[in-house]
This record gives sequence, structure tokens and C-alpha cells, in this order.
Amino acid sequence: MLSESARAASAAEARFRIQAPNSRPRTTTVIALDAASEPVLRRLAGESWSRATFLQAPVGEAELRDQVDQSDQVIMLATAGGCADAAEAVGRACSRKRVTTTALVVGTENATEPELSKTLVQLRPWSLMVVIAGSDDYITDMMTALRV
Amino acid sequence: MLRKEQNDLLTQTGPGTPMGRLFRSYWIPALLSEELPGNDCPPVRVKLLSERLVAFRDSNGRYGLVDEFCAHRGVSLWFARNEDCGLRCPYHGWKYDVTGQCIDVPSEPEASGFSKKIKLKSYPLVERGGVLWTYMGDPATQPPLPEWEFATVPAPQSFTSKRLQESNWLQAMEGGIDSSHVSWLHRGDLNSDPLFKGAKGNQYNLNDARPVFEVVESPGGLYIGARRNAEEGKYYWRITQWVMPSFTMIAPRGNHSVHGHFWIPIDDENCWTWSFDYHPIRDLTAAEIAAMRNGKGIHVKYVPGSFRPAANKDNDYLMDRDAQKAGRSFSGVEGIAMQDASLQESMGPVVDRTKENLVSTDNGIIMARHRLLRAVKALIDKDVTPPGVDVEHQKVRSAAIVLPPDQPFKEGAREAMIARPSVAPASV
Repeated sequence: MLSESARAASAAEARFRIQAPNSRPRTTTVIALDAASEPVLRRLAGESWSRATFLQAPVGEAELRDQVDQSDQVIMLATAGGCADAAEAVGRACSRKRVTTTALVVGTENATEPELSKTLVQLRPWSLMVVIAGSDDYITDMMTALRV
Repeated sequence: MLRKEQNDLLTQTGPGTPMGRLFRSYWIPALLSEELPGNDCPPVRVKLLSERLVAFRDSNGRYGLVDEFCAHRGVSLWFARNEDCGLRCPYHGWKYDVTGQCIDVPSEPEASGFSKKIKLKSYPLVERGGVLWTYMGDPATQPPLPEWEFATVPAPQSFTSKRLQESNWLQAMEGGIDSSHVSWLHRGDLNSDPLFKGAKGNQYNLNDARPVFEVVESPGGLYIGARRNAEEGKYYWRITQWVMPSFTMIAPRGNHSVHGHFWIPIDDENCWTWSFDYHPIRDLTAAEIAAMRNGKGIHVKYVPGSFRPAANKDNDYLMDRDAQKAGRSFSGVEGIAMQDASLQESMGPVVDRTKENLVSTDNGIIMARHRLLRAVKALIDKDVTPPGVDVEHQKVRSAAIVLPPDQPFKEGAREAMIARPSVAPASV
């Protein structure tokens, strides 16, 4: 006789998994922290998302607070070597509401170590996750995976 | 989440599938060398990438990995006699050499040359570092032999085991790059497992259960850094290496050995979890090897005579609810390896990723899937060799290191993340 774990893990039993939705739609805010990451923001904004808002820093304090209050997650875009000091304001607004933050560093192909360091030191205190990739073609996949 | 067609693409590795072609671009571990311990020893059944094969070692010590079934009437050559430089089918005496070439058909006149017309599919099988490696792709694009450090250090410095995992390879591999689960599932083992305990780095782990993650693309895959606070405003980093398609190497602790895994598909619902431990500059001690053989660290105890873990789904993984309740074990399953495997197998043979709800700390997994999908597309559309085939991508190390707060770990740990003979690993 099969154990409960053996029976439950079988392909046959997988047919009986509940098919009802197991989550509600997430609301996401994507913020470009510097001017150089604005083209990436614009490209992403042109794609099809269900509940996403795209903002370009600087964003007024009240607007930022209102936006974060409505968000389940915030994604920050920063260019390696760019000025990402807006991360602090975003981070503080997110900390207040315990909203998770992800920072994506773009434009790293030709960035020097000091340029990348400058950006990281601004992002790290305010980001639960930082991604540094050679190109920005992963961002759409990442946002899809995060159910944006 | 993944769309169903993406999930199917990444999880199906049989002949003719895109992901199967990707896996067939690499040398992959097929057997432990000890499974074929001597010339003319019994042959061993091997199933890899949904192909049934038989491995043997002939009278001259040459290794063969050939189609499991005799070309005559389809008998399994596991029943064959391994003698006089070949496998002889016990049914009618047809005999094959290590290349799969039929060299004797007793019922046919030798002068007829009939045997030359019969050849079983075969793959190269070579020994390196206590592992027998095979390459199942196009012979024209066979890469150089693997250069993973655990397989190139002197034998006394390395220990490798394998275990059957009853799930698709991808959900097993994703567990290896999911650093955020360690603070939960394995929290009871850092200070008790003999292969982990005593390291200063453990205290950083235990003091900070909510690390912050950074994922950085590497030439062969990804560096996944978990950051915790250290003294004087510095950060303690644990950097995991993922090299495509399924190699991971976990950051070391103190002077303990370094360890990691390969996840190799058997078929689409089972895989081999290969687990290695090695030290780049010293022999493993007798106590360390005894602990590994006894299922400590990332290794397991077996059902005798098999590579199936002693704790498996048929015995509910020997779940200990009292230990779970008392806090001796967070999950109630003993041992790091089976804590992982029990949960991954519970997802079902192939997890339905259309229903998952990933969060920001899952970005390592998200990036790995992205890189795999991108590499498969480049391979199928443009014949681009995937990352990880180049042996330079294999000369890597994981690292545990304390760095200044503004330093990219890719730069601060650059030297530490390269495998260099006789150089100690970066460990805390």
C-alpha cells in the first residue's frame, strides 16, 4: 500500500489540484530613478500589464506616498553610474507601509566599478532585492513572473 | 509564474526536445566510478534524458554507455555477460563492444560480415574525479572534458554522492538557487551538522534571518549573493554560483569543505541529485568522509543496495512530528538533503508553475529561467553554444566574504570566485 506522501505526489493525484485562482491581482509601481533609465521605463510602459503604474523620478512626496499606499510591490530602475538618490524617498515610503522593493540596475554593460558602486550604495539600503544584468531584456520576464 | 508552454519547454528533456538538446550540449555526470569497479564487472542500467542505456567496463578497462536493448530481439543487456571485451546477450549470444558495435552474431557465418551491419547507439563515457561523465550530443560539437574543480583536485580532497530524486530536474535545481529558504527550512542544522557547525559565518546567518539578495549575471550563469550585516558597517556575503544548466555551488563555512550539486534529468519526472564536497587545499578528514557517508551535510543515507534515500515518499520521509513541534527540526524531516527533496517531491512530478506566486526574493529563480529560455532559443534558432559549455565557465567557486558596504560583490569577490589550484577558498 502506498504511503500518503507517495500517493499524493503522483501525477494521477495532480489532476485533483484545485484550479481556482490562489491570489488576487497585484498592484505594482515601477519608478525610474534617473533620467538615463527613462527609455527602459517608457518601453516597459508600452507593454501590456494589468495593474501597473509607471513613474519617473523625481516624484512629489504626496504623490509618492499615495502611489505606494496603493501598491503591493515597487520596482525601481536605476542606471549604473546614474544618480539614484531618489531611492531613499521611495524606500522610506515603502518602509512605512511594508511594501517590498526590487531594484534593477540597467546599463551595466559599459559601467565601471566606481559607477556601479555609486549606484549600489544608493540602492542597497532601500532594496530587498537587487538585480544586475548585462542587458535589460530580462525585465519583462521578471515582471511577468512577479504577476505585474 | 511561467506560461504552460514555457514550463513544458524547460521541464521536458527527452530526445528531440529543445531543452533536451541544451542538456546534450554538455558533459553530464552519468555514474559514480565505483558503480563499475573493475574490468568485466556487471553492467549497470542507466537512464538519462529519457534514454535507457546500459554502462559497462570491458576487459581492457574501457567504459561503454550503449542502448540498453539488444538489436536482435530487444532483450535488456543488463542481463548480458561482460566478457572478452564486450557485452554478450545471453539470449542468442550477440555481442557488442564499448562503441555499441556488434562484433559477433554466432548464428551467422563470420565471413558474412553481418555483425558489422549492427550497431547500437552509444555515447562516450569517461572517468574524471570519481565520476563517469557522458556527452549525449552531436559528436561534431563534443566539448572538451569538464573542468569542475571538485573533479580535478586530488582524490583524497573530494567526495561525491548521488541520490534519486523523484521530481522533475527543474524544481530540484531551483531549490539550489533559492537562498531565502535556508533561514527557515534548514535553520536547525547550522549549529548541529558536523559539516557546518563552528564557522563564524553561521553566527551572521543566525543573527540575521532576513538577508537581502543581489543577483548578478555571470559568464556561465548567475552569481546569487545573500547579504547580511557584519561588524563596522560591513556586509557578510554568501555567494552561490549557478552555472548552466544545472550546476550549483554553495558558499563555504569556516574551514569546512565546499559543496554543491548537479541536477541531471533521468526522465521528466525523476532526476539524479549529484552532491559533491571538496576542499581545494587539503584532504578531507576521515571524520568528514564518515559524516558524508552517514548522510550528513548535503548527502543522504540510502535504502541498502540502491541510491534511493532511506527517507523517501514511501515512508513519509520518516517525518518526526515531535521533533518539529519541539523545534529540533523546522520541517520534521531529518537532514538538509531530504528536507529539500521531501518538499520538492511534494509539489508533484512536474510542478505547475502557472499557479505559483513568486516574490522579489525569488529573483534568482526568475533570472535562471530567463537565462535558460534565452539559451535554448539561441541554440535552436542560431546554433549558439550555451553558457557553461566553455570550460572557463566551469572554473568557479562559491565564496563567503566580508566586504565594504559600497562594493559590488562581483568586484570584491572577483578573485575568490575563480577556482585556482592550491589557493584556499574565501570562507568565513
